[in-house]
Amino acid sequence: MTRPSDVKPREGDQPAALYKDWVVGAKFPPLPFTITPDVVDEYISVIDADRANYVIDGRQAAPPNVVLVYMMAVMYRLYPPQQGGIMIGNTIEFHNPIWADEETEVIGSGQVTEKFEKKGRKYICYDVEFKRPDGTLLVSCNHTSAFPE
Amino acid sequence: MTQTTLRRTIPQTQKMFDDYGVLNGDNDIIHYDDQFAKDRGFRGTLGHGLMYTGYVCDLAAKRYGADWHYRGRLTVKYVRGVCPGDNLEVRIEGDGAVACQSQFDTTLVGSVKLA
Repeated sequence: MTRPSDVKPREGDQPAALYKDWVVGAKFPPLPFTITPDVVDEYISVIDADRANYVIDGRQAAPPNVVLVYMMAVMYRLYPPQQGGIMIGNTIEFHNPIWADEETEVIGSGQVTEKFEKKGRKYICYDVEFKRPDGTLLVSCNHTSAFPE
Repeated sequence: MTQTTLRRTIPQTQKMFDDYGVLNGDNDIIHYDDQFAKDRGFRGTLGHGLMYTGYVCDLAAKRYGADWHYRGRLTVKYVRGVCPGDNLEVRIEGDGAVACQSQFDTTLVGSVKLA
């Protein structure tokens, strides 16, 4: 079992990466983790989801977006977080189910795609892919956040 | 085929922000420190953007069923903060347009579809 808090650097725990530190094209170190039924249950609870919406051919699947609680951990391993970050947007694609009744080994990876300043705010964009160890793509994301410094 | 609008209303509390943060390990004080958030110009602590994304995904999964797990596509932008006490309506229109709206403002816009 891997709780996101086990692998995600916490804001304020170490010197934060600043806007000037981000390099477009920089790749995040692969982050292996395991999604367990306990994590799926907790995720369903915190997003107030309806399990009935995730049944495939009679089998209970997880909300595929359960991987999103690990997304920022992938990026933060290369660029430790700063306080006051604001999420701006996400584009997300789902490719294969994550089952609720089994452990799912996942490897998160990604890279910085863009950085820019606009109206005094500093924006960072990056891609993250979540795959099974055999290479099966589960979920892909493009994310944008704004940071104070 | 035009689909019906899906919607649900989820009242927001600080406990919901805290519980999501316990799971995802987010220690950004903008989610927990009311004064810090107000000093930055917000009405109060901010909910987690990915929590609202989860609300949208739940309605999308209801609409698209098993296909959502294989071909689901989602784009969202967080345009205003959501704070404790907000009464948040999450909505997917028949054409896939997405919005979250509190009693104060539209907080999220976007779209869902199948590839």
